[in-house]
Amino acid sequence: MTMKITVTVNASRHDVEIDPGETLLELLRRLGYKGVKKGCGTGDCGACAVLLDGRAINSCLCLAAKADGREVVTVEGLEKDGRLHVLQRAFLDEGAVQCGYCTPGMLIAAADLLIHNSNPTEEEIKEAISGNLCRCTGYVKEIAAIKTATARMREGDND
Amino acid sequence: MTDVKRPEFAVVGKSERKVDGVSLVTGRPKFVADVDLPGTLHVKILHSPHPHARIVLIDTSKAETLPSVACVLSHENTPATRYTTAGQGYPEPSPYDARMFDTKVRFVGDRVAAVAAETEEIAMEALKLIDVQYEELPAVLSIDEALADGAPVIHDEADAEGIYEAERNIAADVDIDVGDVARGFAESDVIVETTCETQYCQHTPIEPHVCLSYLDEDNRLVLRTSTQVPFHVRRIVARVLDLPIHRIRVIKPRIGGGFGTKQEILLEDVCGLMTLRTGRPALLVLTRQEEFVSSRTRHPMRICVKLGAKKDGTLHAIEMEALSNTGAYGTHGLTVLSNVGSKTLPIYNKAANVHFFGKAVYTNLPVAGAYRGYGATQGYFPLEVAMDELAEKLGLDPIELRQHNHIKTGETSPIFEKLGEGREGVSQTIKSCELEHCIEIGAQRIGWAEKRGKRARDGPWVHGLGMSIHMQGSGIPLIDMAAATIKMNEDGSFNLLVGATDLGTGSDTILGQIAAEVLGVPLSKMIVTSSDTDITPFDTGAYASSTTYVSGMAVQRAAEQVCDQIRQAASKMLDAEPASLMLSEERVNASNGESVSLAEVCQRAMYGADQFQIAATASCVPEESPPPFMASFAEVAVDTETGIVKVLNYVAAVDCGVAINPKMAQGQMEGAIVNGIGYALTEEMLFSSRGRVRNPTLFDYKILGSLDVPPIEVILVESYEPTGPMGAKSIGEIGINAPIPTIANAVHDAVGIRLTKTPFTPERVFARCT
Amino acid sequence: MPLVNVRDILRPGTLEEAHRFLRQGGENARLLSGGIELIRYAPSQVTMLIDLSALPLSYVKESEGCVAIGATTTLREVLENPLTAGYLGSVITGMLRQVASPLLRNLATMGGTLVSANPWSDVITLFLVLDARVTLFDGTERSIPLSELYPTGRRLQGAILTEVGLPAPSPGSAAAFRKFSRTGFDVAVLNCACFVQMGEDRCEQVRIVAGGTPRLAARLPQAEEALIGAELTEPIIDQVAQVASDSAEVREDRRASVEYRKQLVYVGVKRCLKEIADRLGKG
Repeated sequence: MTMKITVTVNASRHDVEIDPGETLLELLRRLGYKGVKKGCGTGDCGACAVLLDGRAINSCLCLAAKADGREVVTVEGLEKDGRLHVLQRAFLDEGAVQCGYCTPGMLIAAADLLIHNSNPTEEEIKEAISGNLCRCTGYVKEIAAIKTATARMREGDND
Repeated sequence: MTDVKRPEFAVVGKSERKVDGVSLVTGRPKFVADVDLPGTLHVKILHSPHPHARIVLIDTSKAETLPSVACVLSHENTPATRYTTAGQGYPEPSPYDARMFDTKVRFVGDRVAAVAAETEEIAMEALKLIDVQYEELPAVLSIDEALADGAPVIHDEADAEGIYEAERNIAADVDIDVGDVARGFAESDVIVETTCETQYCQHTPIEPHVCLSYLDEDNRLVLRTSTQVPFHVRRIVARVLDLPIHRIRVIKPRIGGGFGTKQEILLEDVCGLMTLRTGRPALLVLTRQEEFVSSRTRHPMRICVKLGAKKDGTLHAIEMEALSNTGAYGTHGLTVLSNVGSKTLPIYNKAANVHFFGKAVYTNLPVAGAYRGYGATQGYFPLEVAMDELAEKLGLDPIELRQHNHIKTGETSPIFEKLGEGREGVSQTIKSCELEHCIEIGAQRIGWAEKRGKRARDGPWVHGLGMSIHMQGSGIPLIDMAAATIKMNEDGSFNLLVGATDLGTGSDTILGQIAAEVLGVPLSKMIVTSSDTDITPFDTGAYASSTTYVSGMAVQRAAEQVCDQIRQAASKMLDAEPASLMLSEERVNASNGESVSLAEVCQRAMYGADQFQIAATASCVPEESPPPFMASFAEVAVDTETGIVKVLNYVAAVDCGVAINPKMAQGQMEGAIVNGIGYALTEEMLFSSRGRVRNPTLFDYKILGSLDVPPIEVILVESYEPTGPMGAKSIGEIGINAPIPTIANAVHDAVGIRLTKTPFTPERVFARCT
Repeated sequence: MPLVNVRDILRPGTLEEAHRFLRQGGENARLLSGGIELIRYAPSQVTMLIDLSALPLSYVKESEGCVAIGATTTLREVLENPLTAGYLGSVITGMLRQVASPLLRNLATMGGTLVSANPWSDVITLFLVLDARVTLFDGTERSIPLSELYPTGRRLQGAILTEVGLPAPSPGSAAAFRKFSRTGFDVAVLNCACFVQMGEDRCEQVRIVAGGTPRLAARLPQAEEALIGAELTEPIIDQVAQVASDSAEVREDRRASVEYRKQLVYVGVKRCLKEIADRLGKG
């Protein structure tokens, strides 16, 4: 039993047939967006985070059907015309990427923060990524990278 | 500082961007499950609901006939070979007590059967159709129960090998001594004794275990797997599946963390067999629940440390007894147990009398295995708490007591040769040690003199400071082997092929930096390929903090050999003696000022004249294991009304030799410290009375998140290790060993209680405060 | 795919239509708002989902001081709305910032949160203390106190929760909320909330709620009685907190023992009342 939906992912329109019970995570990965990761499937780790109409959500807990007619941005959609997003560059420069498995979700959560708050405090940064678990970095350099990205954006370095 | 002058580096010592960084931040499909192969079957495992039982009957017929089920495996149709799942060098120092599917189950979560089907949903349906009749057996759920007279024997199989004393559930036993510890205590002026217990905890890599197996165009079995030990996987799978090694290829792509739980052969045997039986690709991904229950954990332990010292604070006798719970199988049981002593006791080499002994005991509980720190983490808890108690009794500052007793450059410890990886160790003299300096800097940064003993109050919060000192090792001497191949391309770039396994640690990058440094090129000219058993030379894998020190030395040697070949080729172009030529900034320079570019050299060597492939392979077997050293400090506040322990500030000063990539070295420390704080304060696997894990979810097994991390300062205190590549040692594990004793000692400074059981949950702390 | 048996997702355009679908679907139908609980628990009998997102139920409105929140408003939208931020000294925003994670708050809705009746729910604990009322639609509309929603559970006997309303705060009143958890991203091991309406120097109206006990939030009437008519002084606060602790029905679970939960009730209520006293200038 399938249903048809239309979802825009990283500015590309997809007309797809989905199983009604399918999650957005499952749909995105089978459409080829492998950057969206599964770490737990229960909303506890944040590795699956994507932007849905500009807000970061756990795609493992979102039915694909709910994305019908809406816009999704995955980590693959952060770079524009071959240029890395300011967050991606900051993560690389600060050494905030180790195994990289939590990184896509972390970048998405940080992107949500920076879209809505151009000058976050350290507390606000920690809160923004509080739903993204990381076992490699201890969060130290990820927080530093988000601060660096914010500073660079204020200096006019816009993704 | 050591005598050897540290050279000026061009690439080493710089915090270069990771070579795989861009692909990771852009979400490129580089992990195991990111590849879609047509016809892939989904594999699911049936787990035991009982802690201890015989499988009397197993009927898989209904599952097999379910449409879209391709294959069902159980003990009835799989090899009976006994092996160890431990990813260790051959012959593995772990008992051969496992079977792919056994006729007996030994913990809730043990393997019973496996199904491969067209979809995950159908595979799960098929599991429900497998009929199993069990004869339940009495179970033992603790070390004491397992050792008690008349306890049920967990490994009563006739064909197990390497178990120390199966009838008493003892997987391994260690007993070494130096001097005469009884006399040592008799001669001591002051004695302290403390017993500490650590809990079951899990690595929780954000990527669970996953394996994709398939047959390539030549019908060879390919295992694309999330592993720390590709060569051990190949060897052990070959043996279990009775397949020649040359018919198997193991590839480790990017993986999402390991921390030791992927130093096992956990999925590859089942996956591989599914592919052999069906001819189709097979994908097995553990759920998060299976990751908690049916992968690996840390060894919970009960360790007693007794210290005897003279009035002036000199340690005179140390006794350490360790009881380790190795769970239902003995993988890593002996070696983790040995490391409890081998990575801790040498740090206090002034004690002339030492006795270290212990057992690794089987229980009907989840299987413990390798976990960052590998026994040292457990051992430092009672050792550094006892040192603190000793300082108190002697009226000495804890720092002073450490400074008085710790090992220094030029010194040795008899423990090095007495205690190795499941056998005798290797003697060594410390050639680099900045521990003194680490202690000084750390104490100053945390505000030791100003804040310790003050018990500053802030409402219900009382503040305290604690510290501890640590060492680890760098690889396993005379046992580990690593190799590297470098070949040149005609644009002056190089392929670096290493067996070394990057789990996110960034080893591809730092090995590239080492090679780039020797070859006189930027890192961007190094193309690093790692962990493919067809293409890359051998490496034991990512464990024992070996990659920088051992694999790095292999890389350095290979690079040096390539430099020799380049000099040979260039000497014909520059009409100069090869020995007089220097490589730097992508050129070969003669003393008269003439030079040629590396590209020109290789262009000629490939197409021009005297053609040959500029390439070399080199190996390294380390002869010693020079320890990194660390001093750890924390300021905590204890809420006396709730028992909540908050870490306010954490400082770790670490001597890892030369840091090849400082930001990455810090990153290793920061991650290890935060993991260690979770181990100290919040992480604990809980069990029902029947040995079932009650909290196999990230919802109820709490690891630290961004809201929980204190300010952490990692200070790299550089030394120069003459036996290490570019002067480097290692840094992968040591950070996780400190938070438990550091925090325990800080809590004592604050509220005067000695915490001896982890985790220090608010409830436990509050109960001790009242 | 957790919801493997779901065959239909209907998207009604009106409340009446939604209610009709729900009635027709019976045991096999569930309302879909955020969907978090549905996917996490995935009851196997669910074959039909009724998606409420097309209904005009996403809003935060104010009318004569009363704040009304539509059922499909996400927790994040509630958190960021200035009407919420201004309510009773930002006690709601303070509580919401401790709920789950920002990722989950972008998906979780107010209606789903109230109806799921998770025993550790921070929202339910605070909203009970704030004397919230909910609007239900089952063909006709009716309004009941939030407390009467429980313990009927998720199905609400076929009614659809459309709105939750908070009364207009009167001068001399304040509320506070405390949550104890194991890490920052965690459910409550215990939470509590207090509301006090002062009349001159004495407490006129008092509501004290403890949740995650591990049962769902409930009022602590004995503690409330101990404070009514009394002054908000430190010794009285301590006494009331003790009564709260003694009278609270707590149980042991894997997160905490009975004794420890009792201690948390005591500390939580004490600290809430102290905060309220400070806010009202009585501390």
